Amino acid sequence: MKKIFIALLFLGVLASCTQNFLNENKNPYQITDESLKQDFNLVGSPFSGLLLSLFGDQIEEDLCYDSWMGYMNTPTPFVGNVNNTTYYIRWNVYWGRIYGDVMSPSKQVIKLAKDNDLPLFATWAKLIRILGVSKLAAVHGPVIYSQYGSTANSIPYDKEADLYNLFFSQLDSIQSDFAANKDYKGFVKFDQSYKGNIGAWAKVVNSLRLRLAIRLSKVAPALAKTQGEKAMSDPAGLIATNADNFNVALLGNIMPVARICYQWLDTRMGAPIESIMVGLKDGRIGKMYAPATGDVYGDHPSSAFKGIRNGAFCTTKDAMLKFSGVNLDFNGVGTRRAITAAEVSLLKAEAALRGWAGAGDAKTNYENGIKLSFADWGAGGVDAYLADNVSKPLDYIDPTNPLNNFTSLSTVTVAWNEGDSNELKLEKIITQKYINTFTNTLEAWVDFRRTGYPKIPHVAKNDSSPDWGVIPADQWIKRMPFVNGERTGNAAAVAAAVSTMGAGAKDDIATRLWWDTGGSNF
Amino acid sequence: MKKRLYLIMIVLFASFSGVLAQVKVSGTVTDPDGISMPGVSVVQKGTTNGTTTDADGKYAVSVSAASAVLQFSFVGMTPVSEAINGRSVINVKMAAESVGINEVVVTALGIQREKKTLTYASQQVSGEELRKASNNNFMEALSGKAAGIDIKTSNSGAGGSTKAVLRGDKSLMGLSEPLYVIDGIPMVNNKGGQPGSYGGTDGGDGLSQINPADIESLNVLKGANASILYGSQGANGVVLITTKKGKSEKTTVTVNSSTMLESVSGLPDFQFKYGGEGSSVYSWSKTPGNYQSNYIKDFFKTGINETNSVSISGGNDKTTVYFSFANTHATGILPTNTYDKQNFSLSQSTKMFNDKLTVSSNVMLTNEVSRNRPGAGYYNNPLTGLYLFARQLDFANYKTNYQTFNKDRNMYQMNWFSSEEKENNPYWELYKDPKFSKTNRLIASLKASWEISKHLKFEVRGNIDYADKLNDNRYAAGGNPVTVSPNGTWSYSKYTDQALYSDGIFSYNNTFGDFSLTAIAGASFQENIFSDGMSVGNGTTSLQYPNEFNFANMPYQVMFNQSINRVIKQGAFANAQIGYKEKLFLDISARNDWASTLALTGNQSYLYPAVGLSAIISQMVSLPESISFAKLRASSSQTANEVPFNVVSPDNRYGGAGGPGGIGGIGRNSQVPFKNLKPEVITSNEVGTEWRFFRGRAGLEFTYYSDVSTNQFLTLGAPSGSGYTYYYVNAGKITNKGFELTIDATPVKTTDFTWKSSVNFSQNKNKIVELIKENPDYQVGGDDEGFASIIKAGGSFNDVWIYKFNKNDAGQIILDANGIPTKAAKQVKVGNVNPDFLLGWNNNLNYKNFFASVLINAKIGGVAFSKTEAFLDAYGVSQRTADARNSSTMPINAIKGTTAVTSIDPVVYYGAVGDRNRIMEPYIYSRTNVRLGQLVIGYNLDVKKLKLPVKEATFSLVGRNLFFFYKDAPFDPEQSMSTGNGMQSNDVFGVPSTRTYGFNLKVSF
Repeated sequence: MKKIFIALLFLGVLASCTQNFLNENKNPYQITDESLKQDFNLVGSPFSGLLLSLFGDQIEEDLCYDSWMGYMNTPTPFVGNVNNTTYYIRWNVYWGRIYGDVMSPSKQVIKLAKDNDLPLFATWAKLIRILGVSKLAAVHGPVIYSQYGSTANSIPYDKEADLYNLFFSQLDSIQSDFAANKDYKGFVKFDQSYKGNIGAWAKVVNSLRLRLAIRLSKVAPALAKTQGEKAMSDPAGLIATNADNFNVALLGNIMPVARICYQWLDTRMGAPIESIMVGLKDGRIGKMYAPATGDVYGDHPSSAFKGIRNGAFCTTKDAMLKFSGVNLDFNGVGTRRAITAAEVSLLKAEAALRGWAGAGDAKTNYENGIKLSFADWGAGGVDAYLADNVSKPLDYIDPTNPLNNFTSLSTVTVAWNEGDSNELKLEKIITQKYINTFTNTLEAWVDFRRTGYPKIPHVAKNDSSPDWGVIPADQWIKRMPFVNGERTGNAAAVAAAVSTMGAGAKDDIATRLWWDTGGSNF
Repeated sequence: MKKRLYLIMIVLFASFSGVLAQVKVSGTVTDPDGISMPGVSVVQKGTTNGTTTDADGKYAVSVSAASAVLQFSFVGMTPVSEAINGRSVINVKMAAESVGINEVVVTALGIQREKKTLTYASQQVSGEELRKASNNNFMEALSGKAAGIDIKTSNSGAGGSTKAVLRGDKSLMGLSEPLYVIDGIPMVNNKGGQPGSYGGTDGGDGLSQINPADIESLNVLKGANASILYGSQGANGVVLITTKKGKSEKTTVTVNSSTMLESVSGLPDFQFKYGGEGSSVYSWSKTPGNYQSNYIKDFFKTGINETNSVSISGGNDKTTVYFSFANTHATGILPTNTYDKQNFSLSQSTKMFNDKLTVSSNVMLTNEVSRNRPGAGYYNNPLTGLYLFARQLDFANYKTNYQTFNKDRNMYQMNWFSSEEKENNPYWELYKDPKFSKTNRLIASLKASWEISKHLKFEVRGNIDYADKLNDNRYAAGGNPVTVSPNGTWSYSKYTDQALYSDGIFSYNNTFGDFSLTAIAGASFQENIFSDGMSVGNGTTSLQYPNEFNFANMPYQVMFNQSINRVIKQGAFANAQIGYKEKLFLDISARNDWASTLALTGNQSYLYPAVGLSAIISQMVSLPESISFAKLRASSSQTANEVPFNVVSPDNRYGGAGGPGGIGGIGRNSQVPFKNLKPEVITSNEVGTEWRFFRGRAGLEFTYYSDVSTNQFLTLGAPSGSGYTYYYVNAGKITNKGFELTIDATPVKTTDFTWKSSVNFSQNKNKIVELIKENPDYQVGGDDEGFASIIKAGGSFNDVWIYKFNKNDAGQIILDANGIPTKAAKQVKVGNVNPDFLLGWNNNLNYKNFFASVLINAKIGGVAFSKTEAFLDAYGVSQRTADARNSSTMPINAIKGTTAVTSIDPVVYYGAVGDRNRIMEPYIYSRTNVRLGQLVIGYNLDVKKLKLPVKEATFSLVGRNLFFFYKDAPFDPEQSMSTGNGMQSNDVFGVPSTRTYGFNLKVSF
C-alpha cells in the first residue's frame, strides 16, 4: 500500500494546476490594454493607423482610380489583361480596409475615450470616420454608417442622401467640440499631421465640409450651398496655405505608388495625364513623374515623358517599363496628401461660379489654386503657365502598340478668360484640380463623374461584361459593386441599398451614384 | 602457385573428411494439432546442407557431425532448432509463429499488447524493411508498405519534408498528419514553410532528423480508435517508432554504408527550334532557327547521397547499451544544393534492486545543415528563367556572364534578358542568392519502471525534445527588383521548438479464472513551446548598405518580430482490457484533457471515451483446417482537439516601425471575443477482420472505418457593419470513410528459394458535409493564379477548380470575333487531388544467398495540375507549340459566330490558354501513376565459407522510382513541390522528378 501511495504522490506532482492557463495562452509579443494605459497610449496610439488607412494601395488605388483617371497605368497584363483597369472587376477591397482598419478600431477608440474621460479623442476619431466613409461612399454609394456596430442580424445601409446629411450634422458637432477646446494638447504625441494643433484640425473640418458640399452641388443644390457657405464662413477658416495642408504620415512605409512603380515594376505614368500636362507645358510634370528611360517620346521630343493608356492593351511589358515612372523622390517621402490648400482654393473657385456667398472671385481662386499647387509640388514657371491661352492637350501615341493611341477629347487651355462660359470655366477649374490631386486620385474620379472633366479618353480595352456590369463604349466606370461578403452574407441589406439608388439601379459598375446626376453642370 | 595448391588441398581434404563422418537423421514434423507438415525446411545449422519434408511430413538427412544442430523452418511457424546429440530419429512439433497470431506489438504510450487482442487496425513494419532501399527519410520508405497511408515527399531533395495522411484529411486549418511517437513519447514534427505559386522553399520537418538505422520497427496505428491514449494529437493516427536497444548478448558492431545517386528522370518536353522575334521574351516566331538546345539538360547534375553509419550494441543481464552514429552528405540535382547530417544516439537500460526497478534512458542528437535547398514557384527560382528563356538568345553568354558590372553603382548586377517578375538568370540565382538552414536537435528521455508487485507496475517517464533552428536566405543586390531590394534582401529567422513531456502510468495485469484483466491508469503533462524566437526580413525595403546581411544594416522601417506558440496540456487517462478465455476481448478507454488554449472558455477540461471488442473466431468455432486464425473486431472512439494558441482573447498588435514623425501606431484587436470556444471533436468507428490461412502462410486483414469530424475551428470574416473584423466558430462536418486491406502470402517456399509477397490496398472517401450552415458558399482556399484548391460543403477536401474553355452544347469551343478561344465565365470543379485508391505491392525474394525486393506503388485516381506546362505553352517553349507550328495550323473543334472552325493558328490558340490565369483545361491531368517504387538486389556473403572475420556481410544494389509503368501527368505527382495542404498534385516550376540508384554495404561484427 505504501508503494502505491508513493507512486500516487508522484502522479500528483506531475499534474500541476491549471490556474496559469490564462497567462500561458497570452502572447507576450502583443501589447495589452493595461500596458497601453501608460502615457495615455491606449486611446491615442491607434490614430496614426486610422489616418493611414484612409488610403488604399495597389489594388484599391493604382489598379482602380489611378488607372481609370489616367494618372498611372500598369504595364503588367494582370489576370490575362482583363482586370479592374479594363473594367472587369478582379479586386474590390477598399471596403474591407475602411471597415477593418478605420471603422472597427475607431469604434474601440471612441469607447476607450469615453471610458478614460478623453472626449476629444472621440471627436477626432469621428472626424476620421467621416473622412474615410465619405471616400468609401464615393466608391460604392450607399454604405453602412449610422447602424455600424449594431448587433442586428442584417445591418442596413444608409441611403446616400441620409449619409451626407448625417456627415454634415456630425461635422457641426465635431466643429463645436474643437472650437471649445482650441488649446487642448492631448493629441500632440499621436498627431503626425498637425502635432496636436486643434485649430488645424478645425480647418480640416471646414475643408472637408466644402469638399462634400461641392460634391452635392448638382444633386442637392440648396443643401450644398448652405453647407458650402457654412464651411467658408466658419471662424476656424479653411486650409488656405500650403502650411495648412492636411498630410498623412506613412509611418515608415514607402509611398505605395513608388513601391508599385520601382519595386514591383507594376505601374507607369498614365497617357491621359501625359496628354494634358505635356500639352499644357505644365511645370509640375517633372515633380510628379520621372522622365522615360528609353526613346519612347518621339512624338514630343522636348518633353521626355511617356505614359500608358488607361485600360491599355499590355503586350510588351519590358518596352512599357521604359515609360515614365513616378518622380523618384516619392521613394523617400514620409507623408502623403489628403487635402491641400490648392484643392480648397479650386473648390472655392467652383463655389464662386455657383454663386455661393463667401467664395470670392472665381478667377482669383483659380489662379491662387494653381499657384498654391505649383508651390506645393515645388514647380516653377507658374506665371507663364497662367498666361498660356494657346497650349492644349496633345493626341497620344503609344510607340509599343498603336491600339492604345487616342485623339485628345480635351481642348482646354490654362489661362482664365472672364468671357468664357461657366461650363468652360468649370472645365478649367476641374482640369487644374485633376492635375493637383495626383496621389489622392479618388477625388478626381468624383469630379469626373460629377462634371465630366477633365475630358479623358475611354479605356482602350473595355472588358466590362454582365458579370459586373457593361460600360458602353461612350461611357466610363461609374462605381464599384458591393463586396462579395456583403452580397452573400447581408443580401437583404444590399438589395435594399441598391433600391435606394434609383429606378433600375443594379449593384454593378454602370449604376450612377446619387450625386452623379448625368445632367448639366449648371 | 604452391600456396594456392596447398589451399585447394586443404579445402578438398576438409570436404572429404566431412563425407567420412556422415550421420543419418530422420523423423516427422507435425503441427500443434499433430498433423504432419509437408514442405518444412530442414537444414544443418551453419551449412547449406538440408532437405524438406515430404507429403507425410517425413524427412531424412545426412549431417556431417553427431554434434550438429538441425533447424526446422516453415512460414508462419516458429523455427525449431534441435541438437542431434547422437539421436538418429528426431520428431518435431512446430508451433505457430507469432506473426498475426501471437505477435506482440507496441501500442499507444509504448504499451505492449498481443496483436490478436487489439480492437483496431495497426500494421507493423520492420526497420530492416524500411532501410532496404537506403532512404534517408523513414516515412518515404514506408510508402506502399502499409495500407491506407498516403505519403508524398517533397521534391526538394535530401532533408525535405513529407506529407503523410491516414484515413483522409480531417482538419480544415491544420495538417491532418499522424502523430509520431518515439518509444511511447510524442515527438515534435513541426513543418517549416512550404512553397506556393509565388515561390518559397520547403522548410523541412522533424522526421528527417531521425536516423533510420536506429529504428527497430514502426507500428502504424491507423485511426483515432488506436490512439485515444494520446488524446487529440492521435486523432489522425499514430506512427509508433520503436528504437533499437542494446541486447544482453555478445557485443555487435554494425557498419552500414550506402552511396546513392539521384538524377533527373523527367523534364518537361521543351522545344529549341523556334525563337522569338527580336528581343521578344516569348519564343513565338514561326521561322525555325538553329538555337542552343542542351542548356536545360546540362543545368542539372547527378546528386550524390553518401550515408555511413555505425552502431554498437551490447550488454549483460543487468545493463544493455546501444550507441550509433551516422553521417550523411548529399548533393542535389541543382548545382549548389548540399545537405549534411550527423546523428548520434545512445540508449541504455539498467535493472536494479533484484530487477524490480528498471531505469532506461535514450538520447538522440542531430545536426542538420542544408544549403540552397531548391524551391518552387515564380520568384527567385532558377527554373523559371531556365525553362522560359527566349530560344533565339545566347544562353551560353548568360551562363558565363550571369552578372555584369554596373558602373553607376560600382557593383555587379544580374544580367538577364527579361525584367519579368518571375525571370531570373538561373546562374545568378544559384551563385548570388544563398540559402542556409540549420537544425540542432536533442531528444532525451528517462524512464523508470518499478514492479510494485507481481501484478502491478508503475512507470514514470520524462522527455525533452528540443530543436534549435536557423534559416538565413540572402538575395544579392542587383537582382530582380520585384523581390529583391536595391541593396539586397535578407530573410532571417532563429527559433527553438521545445516539447516537454512527462507521464506516470500504473499498469495492472491479472487473470481471474476465465477472465484476464490488463488495466492502466495514468496522467501526463505536456508543454509545447514552439517558434520561440525571432524573425526579420527587409523584403523590398532597402538595406542601408548593399550586400551586408546583418541586424545593424537593417533600415529603421523594418520590424524585428518575436514569436511564440505555447500549449500546455494535462491529461488523465485509463484503459482496461478484459479478456475471456483468450477468445473475447473488451477494451475500454477514457481520457480527460485540460488545455491551456481553451482557458477562459469554460471548456478547457474535456473528456472523451473509446470502446472496442475483438473476438477470436478461430478459438470459438471449428474452422476448416486451412484457416489457422480468424478474428473480428470493432471499435468506436471520440477524440477532442484543443484550439490553437492565443485565439480566445488576443491583445493588440504593433502597427509598424513608425517614422521620424512619431510612433508606429497600434493595431487594435478586432476579433469578436470568443468565450464559448469548444474543442474540435472527431468520432471514429471501425470494424475489421484478420485471417491467417494455411498455417499462416497467407493472411488477410481488412478494416472499414467511418470518421466524422465536427466542431471544426473556423475563422470567418465578421459582417462589415458589426464593429469587428473576424470571428471564430465551431462548425462544420467532415466525413472520411474507407477501407484498408492487407494481403500477404508466401507463394513459394523451398530450401533455396522463398518469395514473400504482400499487397496493401486502401480507399478513402472524403466528404465535406457542411461548413457553415448559414453560409453554404463558405469555402477554405480560393483561386491561386488560375488553379483553385477548394474545401467547400458538398465537395471533398481539396477539390480542383479551374477555368475551362467556353463551349456550346455541341462541345464546340466558342471563338470570339477575333477568332480567339474564349474562357468559361466561372471556374468549375474538375476533380479532387486525392487518389481514389492506394496500392502497394511488395515482394521479397530469397534465392540461396541472393535476395531481392521489388515494390510496385500505385496511386489510382485524382487529378494533377501543371502550371509549369501552362507557362511553357504561353511562352512558346514547349514541344507541343513547336509541333503545332511545324504544321502551321492545329485542329480545333470550335465555332465562331455560327461558322464551325476546324483549325486555328497555334499562336492564337496558345495565346488563349495557359500562362497564369487563362484557360487551364489543357493542364489538368490524372494523378494516377504506377511505378517501380523500389528495386533491391543483394547478396549475403557466406562469411563462414569465406572465413571472413565478421558475423554478417551484405551487399545490395538499390533503385528507387526507377520508372513508371503508367503516368499521365508531366511531372511526378508524388514528388511534391509542397507538403502543405494547398498545393497538392500541383507543379509550379518545381524540381523535376528524379530517380535514385546506388549501392548499400552492411557488415556486422
